[in-house]
Amino acid sequence: MADVPAEAAVDTDFEEKWKKLVPNLEPPKTPLSFMRPRPPTPSAIPSKLTVNFVLPYKSELSAKEVDMVILPATTGQMGVLPGHVATIAELKPGIFSVHDGNEVSKYFVSSGFAFVHANSVTDVVAVEAVPVEHIDPELVQKGLAEFQQKINSATTDLAKAEAQIGIDVHSALNSALTA
Amino acid sequence: MFSAVRNRMKSVKNIQKITKAMKMVAASKLRSAQVRTENSRGLWQPFAALLGDSPSVDVKKNVIITISSDKGLCGGINSTSVKFSKALHKITSGPDKETKYVIVGEKGKVQLVRHSKKDIELTIAEVQKNPLNYTQVAVIADHILKNVEYDALRIVFNKFRSVVQFIPTVTTVLSPEIVERESESGGKLGDLDSYETEGAETKGEILQNLAEFQFSCVLYSAALENACSELGARMSAMDSSSRNAGQMLDRLTLTYNRTRQASITTELIEIISGASALTG
Amino acid sequence: MASNAAAPFWRAAGMTYISYSNICASLVRGCLKEPHKTEALTREKVHFSFTQWKSGKPEKPSIISDTVE
Repeated sequence: MADVPAEAAVDTDFEEKWKKLVPNLEPPKTPLSFMRPRPPTPSAIPSKLTVNFVLPYKSELSAKEVDMVILPATTGQMGVLPGHVATIAELKPGIFSVHDGNEVSKYFVSSGFAFVHANSVTDVVAVEAVPVEHIDPELVQKGLAEFQQKINSATTDLAKAEAQIGIDVHSALNSALTA
Repeated sequence: MFSAVRNRMKSVKNIQKITKAMKMVAASKLRSAQVRTENSRGLWQPFAALLGDSPSVDVKKNVIITISSDKGLCGGINSTSVKFSKALHKITSGPDKETKYVIVGEKGKVQLVRHSKKDIELTIAEVQKNPLNYTQVAVIADHILKNVEYDALRIVFNKFRSVVQFIPTVTTVLSPEIVERESESGGKLGDLDSYETEGAETKGEILQNLAEFQFSCVLYSAALENACSELGARMSAMDSSSRNAGQMLDRLTLTYNRTRQASITTELIEIISGASALTG
Repeated sequence: MASNAAAPFWRAAGMTYISYSNICASLVRGCLKEPHKTEALTREKVHFSFTQWKSGKPEKPSIISDTVE
């Protein structure tokens, strides 16, 4: 991702149009003016990956420097090291792990996206993420059985889809517990 | 005259009690809203880092999402949202173009209904019955997606900077087709093409999912910021009101005392002149 | 470049990514041990009223309450 120069925090086309049509009102701010610009793509591969891991209700990891992360991409486990090619990855329910030296942190994410930028900053955005230890194996088994039944009795496309999601999520939770 | 002043003092004292109580309620709600807002500030940044923000994008179908409160007594923040929404409407209008409003909050609706009825597509209310959470706002975003056609969404809200400072802000969210159009033509989204996509679907599918997810995350952030601004503004409004009431009370007390002294003096004069008439 | 070739099953059934991801999140929250489960469920309360407008007039409002979709 190209660097965001300080001037790009303001969209000059927009400001000019605004000043012409709405001269008595200062133009509104846009999100870029509230964000610190991202680092430029370095010429050499950096030694560490910088990870941001955010949920709607908190920033779990903020600019943490690590060796590697493994994402639960819809195509399977995807390892990300510094220098990884810029990628937009859609995530499926599964384990997201963060590796630094001998430390490994694991989270079960419900779904979301990960952006691996060319500057070795990786943003992971999930709707829900829980430590694996917080998952109740009994509830997982119960849920899996419930949805396996539901998919057989489902008549509409929507009900079938909901049941399939139930199976996928509970299977993933199950795998996470037994991994 | 006496009892009129006394009654007035009673009602001003009551107003002062109420505004002080409302200020305390707003203050405690504000504390928890602030925490939630600060915790959510990481959420929109990855999307801005990846997709930037293109308020000057030229598209046919614009939808302005005006975020306002249901309740009043919160200073000028709703007028601000409406003012900026109308300005955006002016800027995005043109031949062959269409700009509609989706209004969140009763107060915004009441103002926009005055001159812009025909452009209202959806109105949403009762959003803060429970404290705002992501699921709630995501379901609202989902309803908007399913009921409104758009090339660009422009979310107008008051960003919370401090209890006395709220910043009018616009976040622009593009439809997946426009994201693709902009990334192909170079310009601000030109870098997007350099990203590979990793997913079981086509790149187009992934971008659609991404654009939808961006909308719910960004709308949630905006709703929280505005709710925080609403509480801050209400706290300030209640604070001014109760201080005002305090000043009125002081003035009334002076009047009351002067009136009381005047009547005592009058009585004394009557007694003395009566007595002197007797002894006189 | 956009192709509808590989629409996932939930998209084909009329869901958006938002509905899909909300359902996933809700299912995960439902499998948590206490007290995490109770705490997580506070993130799911939904209530709002929704009114479609046509030609400057509001239609009948609908209330959406406490369902996650």
